[in-house]
Amino acid sequence: MTDPCVGMSPRRVGGRDRVTGRQAYVADIHLDDVLHAKLVSLDCARARIITVDTSAALAVPGVRLVMTAADLPQPVPRFGPQFQDRPVLAAGETHYHGEPLAAIAAETKDAAEEATRLVRIEYEELPAVFTIAGALDPMAPLVQDPALRPGDRLARSNVLREHHYGWGDVDAASADVVVEGTYAFPMVTQFAIEPHGFIAAPDSDGIAVWSSIQHPNWLQRVIASLLHLPLAKVRIFAPDPGGGFGGKQHAKYEPLVAFMALRAGRPVRLVLTLEETFQAVRRGASEIHVRSGFRSDGGLVFRDIEANYLIGAYADIADRTVAKGSYTSNGPYRVPAVRIVARSILSHTTPSTAFRGFGNPQQIWAVESNMDEAARALGIDPLALRLQNLAHPGEAFIPGDTPADGDWARTVERAAELIGWGSPPAPGRGRGLAVGLKSGPTTGLSNSIVRLLADGSVIVYAGTSDMGQGARTIFAQIAADELGAPLDWVTVVMGDTAVVPYDQQTSASRSSVFMGNSILLACRDIQAKIRAMAARLEPVDEAAVVVERGEVRIGGRVTPIRDVLVRGLGRLGGELIGIGEMRKEAEPEHPLGGTAAFFEFNCTAVEVEVDRETGDVVVARHVTVSDVGKAMNPIQVRGQDEGAAIMGLGHTLMEHIIHDEAGRIRNLGAIDYRIPTSLDLPLRMESDFVENADGPGPYGAKGMSEGALLCVAPAVAAAVHDATGVRIRDLPLSPERVWRALHDAAESPDAGAPEAIDAR
Amino acid sequence: MRAFAYERPTTLQGAVALLAEHGSEARLLAGGTDLIIRLRDGSIAPRIVVDLKRIAELDGQIREHDGGLTIGARAVMTDIAADGRIRRDYRALAEAAAVVGSVQIRNRATLAGNICNASPAADTAPALLVYGARVIAAGPAGTRRIPIDAFFVRSGVTTLARGELVTAIELPRPTSRPGSVHLRRTRRRGHDLASVTLACAVRADGVTQLAYGSLGPRPVLVSDETGLLADPTAPELAKMRRLEALFVGASPSPRSMRASPEYRLAMLHVLGLRAVGTAIERLAQGSVPR
Repeated sequence: MTDPCVGMSPRRVGGRDRVTGRQAYVADIHLDDVLHAKLVSLDCARARIITVDTSAALAVPGVRLVMTAADLPQPVPRFGPQFQDRPVLAAGETHYHGEPLAAIAAETKDAAEEATRLVRIEYEELPAVFTIAGALDPMAPLVQDPALRPGDRLARSNVLREHHYGWGDVDAASADVVVEGTYAFPMVTQFAIEPHGFIAAPDSDGIAVWSSIQHPNWLQRVIASLLHLPLAKVRIFAPDPGGGFGGKQHAKYEPLVAFMALRAGRPVRLVLTLEETFQAVRRGASEIHVRSGFRSDGGLVFRDIEANYLIGAYADIADRTVAKGSYTSNGPYRVPAVRIVARSILSHTTPSTAFRGFGNPQQIWAVESNMDEAARALGIDPLALRLQNLAHPGEAFIPGDTPADGDWARTVERAAELIGWGSPPAPGRGRGLAVGLKSGPTTGLSNSIVRLLADGSVIVYAGTSDMGQGARTIFAQIAADELGAPLDWVTVVMGDTAVVPYDQQTSASRSSVFMGNSILLACRDIQAKIRAMAARLEPVDEAAVVVERGEVRIGGRVTPIRDVLVRGLGRLGGELIGIGEMRKEAEPEHPLGGTAAFFEFNCTAVEVEVDRETGDVVVARHVTVSDVGKAMNPIQVRGQDEGAAIMGLGHTLMEHIIHDEAGRIRNLGAIDYRIPTSLDLPLRMESDFVENADGPGPYGAKGMSEGALLCVAPAVAAAVHDATGVRIRDLPLSPERVWRALHDAAESPDAGAPEAIDAR
Repeated sequence: MRAFAYERPTTLQGAVALLAEHGSEARLLAGGTDLIIRLRDGSIAPRIVVDLKRIAELDGQIREHDGGLTIGARAVMTDIAADGRIRRDYRALAEAAAVVGSVQIRNRATLAGNICNASPAADTAPALLVYGARVIAAGPAGTRRIPIDAFFVRSGVTTLARGELVTAIELPRPTSRPGSVHLRRTRRRGHDLASVTLACAVRADGVTQLAYGSLGPRPVLVSDETGLLADPTAPELAKMRRLEALFVGASPSPRSMRASPEYRLAMLHVLGLRAVGTAIERLAQGSVPR
C-alpha cells in the first residue's frame, strides 16, 4: 500500500496555485457581457430617505441600471440567518454608515462609480446610537422598527435578545474572596485579504450566483426563497475564498446582485473595496461584568456574568454569537453556581457577524482577566489557580451539556512547560497565561460523495469551503488512506451546488469532524463494495474479508484495494460510488439547540516587555498549545494555531474600529486600521498540540483553528500586569493606552488594583 | 477615479511648461505612492498627470558636490537608505528613508516626492531639516535653491511657485560629522504613519539640532546652542527642561485618531531625550554605522 497520509504533513492541496496567484477567486471570474456594480450610500449612520433622483446617474454613458428599493418587489424583501431583518436595499431609512440604498450597474466600473456620485438623494439625518450606553438609554431611538418584531416583549428597546444561562444558586453561595471587574472589547473587523465578491447571472430559467461565501448551500436557500425559485434552479458557485474568518458565512449583497442581474437580464458583478468590507462585517463589541467568588484556598464557588454585546443594525448571525459565546463563558472550570445574562444590543453600526471565536473571545477576555486578578488577590499562582479549578476529563462542567472531552490540564501544563513558568522571566519582562474554551457545532449535516475510479484514483465531492484552512488537503488525506490512493491521485471538488451534495456550513471549526466523518463514511461505503467484490472474486465468504486503510486482507494475504478494484470492475471498467452523511440533530430542549459536538481548548502563555516611557508592548515569547484530539496534518494544525494567535494579537494590541460623533467609521481602510505585519509578530512563537484521540472526528480528531485566538488578550494583559503592576481592562493594549495606564498609576498608586476585593 | 490627461514630457522644460499651464490642476507622478492612493480614493481629481520618469535631466543618482551630496529628484528611499555616504554622514536621513512605508513603497517612493507631498508626518523631513538641506527647484524663471526650512508651509503646501518642480535635494557638507539619529512613534512595529517623527544631530561644537514632525501643520526645526543638550555629563532633568523650552511650539492636532495631543507631546519629549542620548553616543563613536 501507499504510505499513510493522515498524521503526516503533505504539501497543501491547491497551495501552489494559492500562493502563486493562479487560483481564481470570485473577482478573477470575468463573464461575457457582465455589468459592474457599485453601491450608493450616505455619509452618515442613520437617515430618513426623502427622495432619490436617479436621472443624472442614468444619463452617465455606460450606465444600464440604477436600482433602488422602489425597483424591488414590495415590501422590500428581507433576509438573514436568524431574523429576516436585512432589506435587499435600504427602504425609507438607512441604519448604518455604508448601508446601500441604491446600486448602479454599468458597462465599466468607472462609469458605475461616477454614477454613484450623481444619484441625488434628499435625506434627513436622524439621531442614532453607536455605544452600549447610548443604545440602552430609555430615550434612545429604536434601531429596528418594532413592527419587525411582533410579539417580542423587547421590541420597544434596542435589546434584540436577552439570554439567561446558569446553574446553582449564585446568591446563596458564600465566598471568602470576591473579585469583580468590567472588561471591554472593541469592534474589530475580519480583514480577509480577498475582498468579498459577488456575481449573479440569469441561467436559463434560474440564476447562477458566484460568491466568496463560506456556506454555499445556505446561500442557495436564501436566493431561492427571495426569488421564489426551486433550489434546483439556483446554482451557487463558491470558489475557494481568500480568507473568511466568519465574515463570509452569510449572504450580504448576493440577493442585491441577483435582483440586479434579473432586472438587467445580464450578469452583474460587485467586488467590495476593503473600505466597503469594513462597512459589511465586523465582530460584536462588548462590555462584560464578571464577579467571581472563591474560597480562600482558590476553589471557585460562584461566577456571575453580565454581558452586553453591541451588535449592528441588523442581526445577521450576531445574536447567535452572543448566545454561544455566553453559554460557555464560565470557561472550562468546575463551578457550583453560575449565572450568566447576555444581551444582543442593536446599534446604528455595521452589522456584526461571525468572526473566528464566535462571541467567545469577548467573554474569555473578561473571565480570564478576572481569573488573573483573582490569582493575585488570593496570592495563588495563576497557573495553579487554573489547574485547581479545571474540569477533569469526563466531568459535566456545564450541566446538561457534553462533559469535558479532553485532558485539559495536560494542555495547560504543556504551555507552562514551554514558557518555563516555574523559572523567573528575563529581567524587565512579565509573564501571563490564560485558557480558552469554545463549544464546537451544536448541530450539523454534511453529505459527501466519493468516487473510486477504474484506475484507483479518487474524486471527493464536499460542500465545505476551503478558505485557506486546508480542508481540501485533509479530505484528500482521508480518502487517500482509506482507499489506498496516492494523495496526488485524489481530486476534491467543492463550491458548486449543482454538483456537490449538501453541506450545512463551513464554520465552528467543524469541517474536519463533520465533513471528515462524512467522507470517511463514504469511503467505508466503497470499502464495503470492495469487500463484496473481493469475496466474489476469491470466492470466499464476505465475513472472511477485511477492508481497511487502503488494503484488502483475506486470511494472512494483503492486497491493495486497487488490485481488487481493477479485477472486480472487469472489462467494462466504471467506478464505485460511496456516499457519506454525518448529522447531528438539534436538541430543542437545550439552551443552544444542541450540545457541543466537541470543545476547542487552548492555553496561551506569553512573556512581554513593556516600554514604560512609551507604552510599547513587545511580545517576546508566545506559546500556544491546543487540544486537537488528533492532528491529521500537523503542519496545518500549527499553521492554523499560529495564524489564530497572530490574529488574536491584532485585537489585543492594535485593532479597533473608531467612529466619529455621526457614527461614521473614521479609520475606514488599511491606513488607520492596523493589523499585525510580520514585524509585529512575537519575537519567538512556539506552537504545540495535545493528541489523545479523544475527539468525535476521523481517527479521534477534534475541530480546531479558532482555539489559539481565544485567550491571547487576557494572557498578554496578564503579562503586562506582571511586568508593570498595571491592570488594563480595555482593548486594544495600544501603546497610548498602556502609557496612559502607567501614567495614571504613577499618579495614584491605587490605580490598577482589582476593582473590589471583599471578604464576606 | 476621475479621468485625467496624462503627459510624459522628455525634457525639464516641457514639464515646467505643463505645470505653468495647468497650475494646481496638474499633479506630478514620480513614484506615485502618494498620488495613486489619492487619485483612487477620490481625494484629488487633477485634470492632468505629468509623469516625470522620462525626463533626462531628472534622475535617481546621488552625486557628490563640494563635499556634500546632491540627491536626484527620482532617487528612491531604498537607494537613499542603502547609500554608504548617506549612512555615514547623514545617518538620520538613511534611518528615516528606511522606515518610510513598506519595502514595496520604498522601492518606488522618492525623497523629492516625500517632501513635495509636505505631509507634517513625512519621515525624511526632520532629517533634512537638521542637516540644513536645500531644495533645488526649476521653474519658468529658472533654477533656485530653497532652504528646506523655508520649503514647508502646511500639509500639502510648499513654497514652490506655479510651474516649479523639484529637480534635486542638496545636502551640504557637514561642518564636522555630527552624531545623528532618527526616531519615530507608530502604532505598530510594521509600516505605519508616524505619530511623532524626529531627527537629532549633535555637533562637535556643542550645537544640537532637533527637528520633529506630526505635531503641527509642518515639520519644525529647533536648535540648542547653549551646549547643554550636547553635554554628556549634564543632568537628565536639566536636559528635559531644555527640551520643554525647545518644543514649546509643538501643536498636535486634537482631531487625529492616531494619537491624542497629550500622548504625542509626551512622546516628543521621550524621543527627544532618547535621540539626544543616541546622537551623543554616535558623535563619540564617530557616527559609523555597524
